[in-house]
Amino acid sequence: MNVFFRKRNPKSIRAFSLVVMVLAGFLAGVPAVVAQAKPDPTALLKELDQLSDFSGKDFSAVFTIVTQKPGEKDSVTQARIFRRDTKKQFLILILLPEVNKGQGYLREEDNVWFYDPTSRKFSHSSVKENLQNTKAKNSDFTLSSFAEDYEVTSMTEGTLGKFPVWILDMKAKTNEVSYERVVLYIRKDRTMLLKREDYSVNGRLMRTTAYPKYVELDGKLLPSQILILDEINKGEKSQITMAEQSVAPLPDKVFTKAFLEQVSR
Amino acid sequence: MNMVLPRIAARNLLRQKKRTILLAGAIAFGIMIVTLINGFAGSFIQNVSENFAYLMGGHVFVSGSEYTPSGKRISVIRDDSAIMKSLQDAGVKWKSIAKTSQASATIIFEGRSIRQNLTGIDIVHSEMLKSRLALVKGSWENAREPDAIIISQSVAKKLNVLPGDKVIAQLQTVTGQNNVGEFRVAAISVDSSIIGSIMTYVQLDYLNSLIGLGKGEYMSLGIMLDRLDLSDGFATSLYTSMKGNGIQLFDRNAKQESTSTTPFQAMIREQNSETWSGTKYRVYTIDDVLSQARQIVIALDTASVAILIVLFAIVMIGISNTFRMSMYERIREIGTMRAIGVQRGEIRAMFLYEALFLALAGAIVGIVLALVIMGILGLFSFDPQSAIFLILKRGHLSFYLPPLRALGNIAIISALTLVAVYAPANAAAKLAPAEALRTVK
Repeated sequence: MNVFFRKRNPKSIRAFSLVVMVLAGFLAGVPAVVAQAKPDPTALLKELDQLSDFSGKDFSAVFTIVTQKPGEKDSVTQARIFRRDTKKQFLILILLPEVNKGQGYLREEDNVWFYDPTSRKFSHSSVKENLQNTKAKNSDFTLSSFAEDYEVTSMTEGTLGKFPVWILDMKAKTNEVSYERVVLYIRKDRTMLLKREDYSVNGRLMRTTAYPKYVELDGKLLPSQILILDEINKGEKSQITMAEQSVAPLPDKVFTKAFLEQVSR
Repeated sequence: MNMVLPRIAARNLLRQKKRTILLAGAIAFGIMIVTLINGFAGSFIQNVSENFAYLMGGHVFVSGSEYTPSGKRISVIRDDSAIMKSLQDAGVKWKSIAKTSQASATIIFEGRSIRQNLTGIDIVHSEMLKSRLALVKGSWENAREPDAIIISQSVAKKLNVLPGDKVIAQLQTVTGQNNVGEFRVAAISVDSSIIGSIMTYVQLDYLNSLIGLGKGEYMSLGIMLDRLDLSDGFATSLYTSMKGNGIQLFDRNAKQESTSTTPFQAMIREQNSETWSGTKYRVYTIDDVLSQARQIVIALDTASVAILIVLFAIVMIGISNTFRMSMYERIREIGTMRAIGVQRGEIRAMFLYEALFLALAGAIVGIVLALVIMGILGLFSFDPQSAIFLILKRGHLSFYLPPLRALGNIAIISALTLVAVYAPANAAAKLAPAEALRTVK
């Protein structure tokens, strides 16, 4: 007897049809639910940028960076950072090591100046430069501009540790941003960047950054601990911790060369 | 010309050999020191310029600047056909040319890293490179590979690499993006100097691909001439020729119109203060870049004149006193000469001749001594890694004494000696013969 054509009970057929219809309806609805849950990648990037944006206020904090290099003693760099995001200004004042104390970086419009108190001279620098002998770049301490600099080429779901994340694979919009390709791991339940991978122009992973700890400041989530791994020179890494963060107003003179010269004395 | 007085003066000097030797020795010592400083200053700029020309691969350079669509300025020569035509049109001779791109990179090998200046050049066809670099390991044959890298001994030691090892270079494109390249060590070269040891050579095409330049493009054209002193004339001819061919150029005379320290800095300032479309070129010489070094030469020359004056102020006091003593010792002789008809002016002239002969003898001995010392110092060979390498000529100290400078020093010494001796000579000339003859020593 053909099992596929055996006679069925009309009751069970009705029940089966009902189950199929409910299942079909459910399955049809799932993509719609998923689509609804998947945020617009650009909006997500903008939200991420917003977290580091203190426009309308001033931001200051002390960052301590411990850098490890194989075969070398750990080095500690400490810097006080002042930011005025409305005008895209920042001033980074080196506090440690003692030998570099008083050195500083000042951003005035599109120019970044490096000040050396020994020679009392300013020279051109860039946000793309590494801060002192660390794995951190000056741009790591400024407001991010992912939405402006990158376009999302793919957005997938994944898990990082115990957290479900959105994985955004991004390509630089111009050839003037530091990394041609960046992959971001953003927590799904709350917009927080957990991990970032930076790739070279020819597609090689250069740097992995993890953001394990956050603090809340003025209603915004800020990473209070950052780990940067050098993927090219394996074994080299920097750990950044943030303290004394504040959004108290800063005097205008803070963002001037004269201030840098004065505090460096 | 009456030769009696010079002969008497010479005889007087020889009569007091010990005193003459001491006085001439003091003059000789002073002029020897000054001549050594002059000789060092004379070769300083020459050696520094030649060493830099050697390291930078040219006496005259052409580089281009253009703006990216976002307004960032980058250094690039995309199409050099107009420059090559201008070189031909200029009708001037050159020894070799080198098209290069440069990038600052961190070279990494098994956890060790070092910052280097990568120079991209056509290694296979660069005769200049082959003549400049002596290889201690590896070969030029290895260097034919597209990912070849030639590093210096000190860099190889620091990274612990050998020919055949693969190193990673971390660098930035011309627009500032991070990039990574892999190179295979083709050869290890002898360190030519501290600066030479940070120069690392790679294939131009591969470096271009890493820094975002296309095939056939480059950053700087270096032109090596037969001699350094030809560079200014060559640059002027090339500049005129390029201008004639309608190429956009930065003004080579910008220095005269600004307060910049060097002509090269003036060109950079001009570049910073203006915008243009397309590529704008600058033509400059090694001297334009190093004109600050000329200030060191001026400082050395000024110091030598100051030393000359201080040394001789002391020596002149000694000479003046010695001649005054000599006058008293010879007072009866002067009285006798005056009594037999020698005129006052002739007595004065006799003393001045003595001073002049003393100065000339001392100066000539001093210069000869300085030349001997220069020759001896020139025999010593210095470590290529030493800090003074840039002022050396092929690893040796070298000196160049401009003849006019030497003659000038002799003239200054002679004049100062005559001034010092004039007072005692005048006193001797004014002696009354009878009084001089009565004087008992």
